[in-house]
This record gives sequence, structure tokens and C-alpha cells, in this order.
Amino acid sequence: MNFHFNEEEQEILNMLHDYAVKEVAPRAHEIDEEEKFPMEARNGLAEMGMMGMYFPEEYGGAGLSYLSYIAVCEELAVHCATTSVVLSAHESLCSWPIYKYGSEDQKKKYLTALASGEKLGAFGLTEPGAGTDAAMQKTVAKDEGDHWVLNGSKVFITNAQYADIFVVFAMVYRDDYKERPYTNKDISAFIIEKGFEGFSVQGHEMKMGIRGSSTCSLYFDNCIVPKENLLGEQGKGFKVAMTTLDGGRIGIAAQAIGIAQAAINETVAYTKERVQFGKPIWKFQNTQFQLADMQAKVDAARLLVYRAAQAKQDGEPHSHLAAMAKLVASETASDVSRRCVQLVGGNGYSREYPFERHMRDAKITEIYEGTSEVQRMVIAGWLGATK
Amino acid sequence: MEILVLIKQVPDDSVEVKLDPATGAPNLNGVEAVVNAFDTYALEMAKRYIEDNGGNVTVATIGDDDATAALRTCLAVGAGKAFLIKDASFAGSDTTAKAYILSKAVAKIEEINGAKFDIIFCGKEATDFSKGMVGVQLASELGVGVATDVIAVNPAEGGVTVKQETETGYNVIDLATPCVVTIQKPDYDPRYPTIKTKMAARKATINEITAADLAVDAAKVGEAGSLTKVLKLYEPPKKQAGVKIQEETVADSTMRALAMIAEAKVL
Amino acid sequence: MDFAEYKDVLVVLELDEGKPVNVSLENIAAAKSVANGGKVIAVTVCENAAKAAIEYGADSAIVIEGAQFEAYNADAVADAVAQIAAEVKPAAIFTGATGKGKDLVPRIAAKLATGSVCDATGVKLDEAGNIVFTVPAYGGTILTDVVIDSVRPQVASIRGGSVQKLEPEAGKAGDIAKKAITVADDQIKLQIKEAVKEIAESVNLEEAEVIVAGGRGMGSKENFDKLQELADILGGVVGCTRPAMESGWISRAHQVGQSGKIVAPKVYFAFGISGATQHVSGMIGSGYIIAVNKDEDAPIFDVADVGIVGGATEVLDIMIEEFKKNK
Repeated sequence: MNFHFNEEEQEILNMLHDYAVKEVAPRAHEIDEEEKFPMEARNGLAEMGMMGMYFPEEYGGAGLSYLSYIAVCEELAVHCATTSVVLSAHESLCSWPIYKYGSEDQKKKYLTALASGEKLGAFGLTEPGAGTDAAMQKTVAKDEGDHWVLNGSKVFITNAQYADIFVVFAMVYRDDYKERPYTNKDISAFIIEKGFEGFSVQGHEMKMGIRGSSTCSLYFDNCIVPKENLLGEQGKGFKVAMTTLDGGRIGIAAQAIGIAQAAINETVAYTKERVQFGKPIWKFQNTQFQLADMQAKVDAARLLVYRAAQAKQDGEPHSHLAAMAKLVASETASDVSRRCVQLVGGNGYSREYPFERHMRDAKITEIYEGTSEVQRMVIAGWLGATK
Repeated sequence: MEILVLIKQVPDDSVEVKLDPATGAPNLNGVEAVVNAFDTYALEMAKRYIEDNGGNVTVATIGDDDATAALRTCLAVGAGKAFLIKDASFAGSDTTAKAYILSKAVAKIEEINGAKFDIIFCGKEATDFSKGMVGVQLASELGVGVATDVIAVNPAEGGVTVKQETETGYNVIDLATPCVVTIQKPDYDPRYPTIKTKMAARKATINEITAADLAVDAAKVGEAGSLTKVLKLYEPPKKQAGVKIQEETVADSTMRALAMIAEAKVL
Repeated sequence: MDFAEYKDVLVVLELDEGKPVNVSLENIAAAKSVANGGKVIAVTVCENAAKAAIEYGADSAIVIEGAQFEAYNADAVADAVAQIAAEVKPAAIFTGATGKGKDLVPRIAAKLATGSVCDATGVKLDEAGNIVFTVPAYGGTILTDVVIDSVRPQVASIRGGSVQKLEPEAGKAGDIAKKAITVADDQIKLQIKEAVKEIAESVNLEEAEVIVAGGRGMGSKENFDKLQELADILGGVVGCTRPAMESGWISRAHQVGQSGKIVAPKVYFAFGISGATQHVSGMIGSGYIIAVNKDEDAPIFDVADVGIVGGATEVLDIMIEEFKKNK
């Protein structure tokens, strides 16, 4: 498999790199320290046309490859993991399902606004009692003839406070739900706009890492949703959610690689400067061998991520590839960032340096959009079915 | 308004360029070529000017084929047309020779565009060899007015009103058009390209102009036409590092330093 | 062109409230060092400034008179200097490398169809009698030696602080010639409608014996302002780096380095200054450099006589206390 970017893509990536170095990296510390949403980057990326880069131009995108979008998620994470997840929640989790499952009208109305970056997107699946076990969803959508009424809540929603458009999931109400409990086949997807009657965003989760991203709860209190805002077929929401997450996971895996690469880059630079026992600690074999191991692992993970991205781009089955990519990349990121803190020592633990931030940011990649355990389930499911 | 922005491709000025001891020339290995920072301000100011007042921005540079990258960068952030002024005989030109070449190029580009330029924007200086003279010399060649260290340009009756940064404040200057302005850093940054403008710039045509097109006098370009000569390049003298103090506490370090300063009897 | 006819050096004085600015006086010293038997002639629009120039070493002065020179106009002054040069045939014409001087030099050179050099930091004569100008390139990491050897006069702007001015000789005699000049209307292409002074303070970094400078590491305007306190105690002047100036902590009149002034005080304090070449090239000539930076690898320590690894404000507070005590 060949992961070369063509000249055009390479130029776009260089342009993004330039932007990230000048505008994203200098704010990463402040964004983390002050739990500040990266609004400048959100707007800057929108102006550059990065908020929907792999969607067709007719829907406000730039028609670039999925692989180059993944490379953008990675590059942003090198400079600021928070900024990376703002983009990937917007692009992978909200814009993509509308592109894939939306009607022409929905695409015109919502995807165009999302892809141009005018509107910010979010995705709502997780509930207090329904994380990995999506069938336990309590949010219910009732067909009231000319509209839907939603009741329930969602938690841990990335971008929530700043998002304009949400893709959310709910059980479509049945009279016999007591005798015959809801299953995944009752789940449907809906497009919700900020400002819909009965819809509110509340709370702000205080997190360990990616502290600048907005993570809140969504509340639906007799929320009125137009009939035409059902996304995809009724009862096919579970599939919408799972295929969306397959793509989302590749973005998160890319974020993980970015964080790990940043940790390595900064550690190499630091150890070359830091002198102990009369020489830079880089000169010690332990430092070099550890970093060599780490780089090899990161590159191995990167290949998995790019392969999954390529498979998605080519329309091939990629659930298991995305799961493997995220599993390996996220665990690599956690391992690498933790070891980098150790190599740097006291300053690694200091909040004046970026090393501990990398470690905190890396951890979330093992948790959101499916924990590592979920990834193992997906991979095992594929193994059981095909081998 | 028809605006020409003159740019120069220079080594990235965020990298410290050192001399290569083997060649005695600046070691530019691995140093990215970029558009001179002051020229990027000039282009941004020109672009804002036409956004507010209408018109076209053309960008031009003297350089070899490598410089097309710089021109494309400019096309991605606001320039409508780009011209590469290229000829082997131009190598080694000093500011006087460059001003002469540019004066001829201005006339040629005006002929191609079918319109005269109203304002020519230049950066106030280049970040490699910061001579800062080409703009003024070009104005003289063209017989037009010029203002330097300009931080704002606005339309006025019969010309433009510019704001010139001075050591203690600013001057408000009236200039009849056509004119030349050399741009100092304003209080805003150049815009970033977008994916769309970047892709369009990749496909855009770079117009090339050679010495033959310009009918230049060979005695007035290149080294022959230069009035200044660079004899040699060298590194500034280095200073011996002294003592670096890092005691248990900053207070201890400071006290030790103060003792050393007292001993040196410099105050 | 017979170079033997071109002997003298003209120094175009830049004025601030009727007095030559420091760099103009330094230009006289620079001119004397390369006059090679010729005279150093100050050119100005103000008789008092002419007298001052003579006290600081000029042999004579020409005072330009005319209604066109009542307010400064670069086109008018450049044309007047060119007219004088056509008559005097100087070997060289110097200005300070200030905004005005750098603007004037190419204008004069273009009128005289001669070569010009901008922002020189040193001048000396070569064997053939050409002036060898030292001109920094690449932000000061590389120096170049440049000559104008095929034409005269050699027109150049010289940066403040790069040549020491001479001790003034009160009441020194020297010819002051008044010269009425008219500039053709078509030579005046710009009109200064308004000159606004935003920075009222006069800052004399070039002559300061002690400079207390701060960079981005000072963190805030409030911290930066404390540098003034130490400067006051030591009888010094506050300097700054470009990032500190761009953060709005202090005016650009205080800036030291490639895009500011070149300074050579007896003692230079560098608080929270990392030591980028752009800054260091402007202060490397200081007699004794004291650097404070929390980053032990900051390049400023490579040029410091005494370096303190620690927070700039913390060290500054202690120093202020200690110097107060010892005063």
C-alpha cells in the first residue's frame, strides 16, 4: 500500500503545518491551562476551508482525499490535541453521517454549512446509562404526526457548547416498549439545531486532558424536531452510529499519533539541551534506545491509521481496520507520552513544559469513540466472522 | 486602482543563517525559501486596498525558476496575476541595477495588462540583505513620488494619503499617483491561504519576462550595472561566555551574581 | 570620473527640536575617520545645529536656506543635498540610519546617479581610498564588506551606536556658509500634511552607561515597568527587545538590536531576553553583560559575563532591593 500524498495534497498539508506552527501551537498551553475552547483555530480552520475538506465542492467542501483529512487531524494534534478533536468531532462525527445518510435537502441545508465551517457540528450518542451498550438508550423520539418530540439526555458531547448542528440518536417510541424492550433496531438518528424548542446544552465537564474542548450534556425536554430531520431510515440509527464511529476512530487514532509524535519531538529536543554528568542526556544510550523504540512504535501505528483511512477512502470494509488503528495508536500514545515524561524527569512533570499535557491528552484516545476494550470487541468480532 | 506588488524570495528569517566555512557563502541548506516578510505585509495591504476600493493586484519578482513558488504563494493570498522577471544576465544586480530592471518591467507589465499601475507596493526592506533602497530607486527611475515606512494607504483626491511610521510617531503624507510606497509592518498580519485559493494558485499561469522582452541595456544590469560591490562575507566576532550561576535558590544565585558584579567594579 | 576631485565628506544632519540627533554627531566622527585629508562638512537647515556639528568635529558647515525647508520634506532635502554635492563634489555623503536617513540616502544617490549603502555598522578606508562599509545581513548573523568603487560620491546611512561621537570642543571655529536653495517644483512629489508625535520621551540609548533591558520573559507590562526602577537606581536607561516592544510594554524608541539601536554601554542587563541574534547583534559591544533567564540554555548566556538562571522578575526584585541598600 502506498500512502504518498500527491503534490497538491502535500501543499495543503504544508499550508496547514504553517498555520498550526504559527497559530495553534502557541495557544496549546493556554487552552489547556485555562480550559479555553480554541475559537481562533476553529475560525481559522473554517476560513482556510479545512472544516469539510474531504466533502465534495458542491456541498462546500474541498474534494480532497480522506487520507489527507486524517493527516490534518494528526498534524493538528502534534501542536494541540484539543484543536484536533474539535475538527474531528465536527467533520467525522457530525458532517460525515449527514453526507452519507442525509437526503439531498439535508445535505444542502446542513452539510454545506458544516463543510464551509460556517456552522460547527457535534454528535450525541452516549447517555448516562448507555455508553458502550447503546441499546440502553433512554432518549425517546415520539412521532407526533407532523413533527417528532424528543425527551432524554446525552453526556460527554464534544463541541457541545459551541456547536450549531447535532447528530443525535434516540429510540423511536413504541406503545409496547414495556413488554418488548427497545433494542438497537429501534434507534434512529436525528439532526438537531441549536435553538430547537426544548433543546438545551448544559454543564461543562472538567476533564483530565484535552481540557480546551467543550464537553457538555444535551437535554431534550419535549424538544420539537421537524419531521424531515430524521437522518437515514427510521430504525437504522444504530448502523448510522456505528459506521460514523468507524470513521471517527480513524480521526482519533490520527490524533493519538500526533500527540505521540509531539512527545517524541519535544523529548529529543529537550534531551539534546539538557546536560547531566557533563553531556546532553540525549547522548546516553538509554535515552536514544527508548526514543528509537518509541518512534518505531509510532510509525507502526501510523501505518495502521493510514491503511484504515485508505480503506475508508476506497470504500472497503474498514471497521476492524479502524478499530486496530485506534487500539494500537491510542495505547502507543499513552505509553510514549508517559515514557517521555520519565525521560525528561522533573521538568516532564512540570506544567511549564508540554510533556505532562501530552500524557493527559493521550489518555482520552483510549477512551472516547469506543474504549480500547470496544476496539478489541470489534476486532474479535471480525476475527470470529472471517477466520 | 491597478496595484503592483514587488516581492523577493528570501531564506526563512526565523532560521539563523550562518556562513558555510567551506564556501564562505551563507549556508542555506535546509532553510526554506519564503516570501520576504515585509513583502507579505505589502501584499496584504494592497489586497485590503482593492477590497475596499476596487482594482487589481499584480505581483512580480526578479528571480530564477525557484521564485515561482514565492509568486504562487502570493497568488494564494490575494494577487490576481504573477510575473517572473528572469534572466541569467540579472544575476549579481545590486539595488541600482534592480531598480533599473524593475522600471523596465513595470512598463512591460503595464503593456501586457493593458493598464497603467497607480500604486507600486514594496516591502520596506528584505530580511536577508536589508538594503531597503530598491523602492526609492525605482520611484526615481520612474520619475514618480515615493513614501517609505508606510503603515497605511488610503485613496485621496488625485492620489493617495499614506501614514508613514517615524521614530516618534507618524506622518500623514499626500502622494499623487502613480507612486511607490515601501511598507513597514502594519498592526495586522497577512491572511492565510485557503484550500481553494491554494489549489487555484497551483494551476495559475506565471508569466515570464526576460531581458529581451524588456530591451534592457546590458551595461546597466547584473554586476556590470551595479554600483556597489560586496567584497566579502564574514561572521561577527564572538564573545567569550562568562559564568552561569544556578544555585539552590534564585535568591542565592542573585546574591552571588551581585558579588561578582561588585568585584568587577563595573557599576 | 576623476576620484581625486572628490575629497570631502558631507554629513546631513538630522534634527530634533533644532539640535542634531546623536547619530548625526556620530556620523561626523565616522566621516572624519574616512575623510582621507578631505574636510568634513555638515549640511543642515539650522545654524545652531551647524555650530554644534562644528563643535563635534565638523570642519565647516553649509546651512540650507529657503522656504521649501521650513518643514521637513524628503524630496526637498534630497534635492538640496544633491545640488550641494554637485558643487562640492564630496567623496562621500553620510546620514544616520534612522527612518529619515534611510529614506534620504537612496533619494540622494538616485539624483546623483551614484551608489548607496544602507544601515552600515562600520566604515574604514581601503588602500585605494574607497570606503569599506560593514553591513549586516541575515539579521546580523553575517556581516558583509561593501564598497562603491566605480562612482562618487559614496552615499551611506550609518547606524546609531556603531561609531562613537567625538568629545565636543566648545566654541570651536569653523566656516558656516549659508546657501539659498530652490528646488524645482516637479522634484517635490510628496507633501507631509501632518507630523504626529506619539512618543514624547527622549531616549538616549546610545549614550547610556547602563542599560537595563527586558524581553518577552518579563511576562507582562506590569513586570516590565519594574525595569525602570532598577534603571533609575543605577542612572541607566531602559532597553527592550522587539517582542517586548510589539507586546506594547514600551515604545520602539527603546528597542535594541537589528531593527533598533546598536548600543555599547558599560553595563548591560538583559532580563528575560533569550538572546536571538537580532537582539544580540545590537548589544554585543557592551562592556559587561548580566543576563537573567529561567531557561538555562538560553543563547544570551553565551555572551553574558554573568548569567543567572532564574525567573527574571524574581531576580529583578532582589536586585532592586540590594542596589537600594547599597546606594
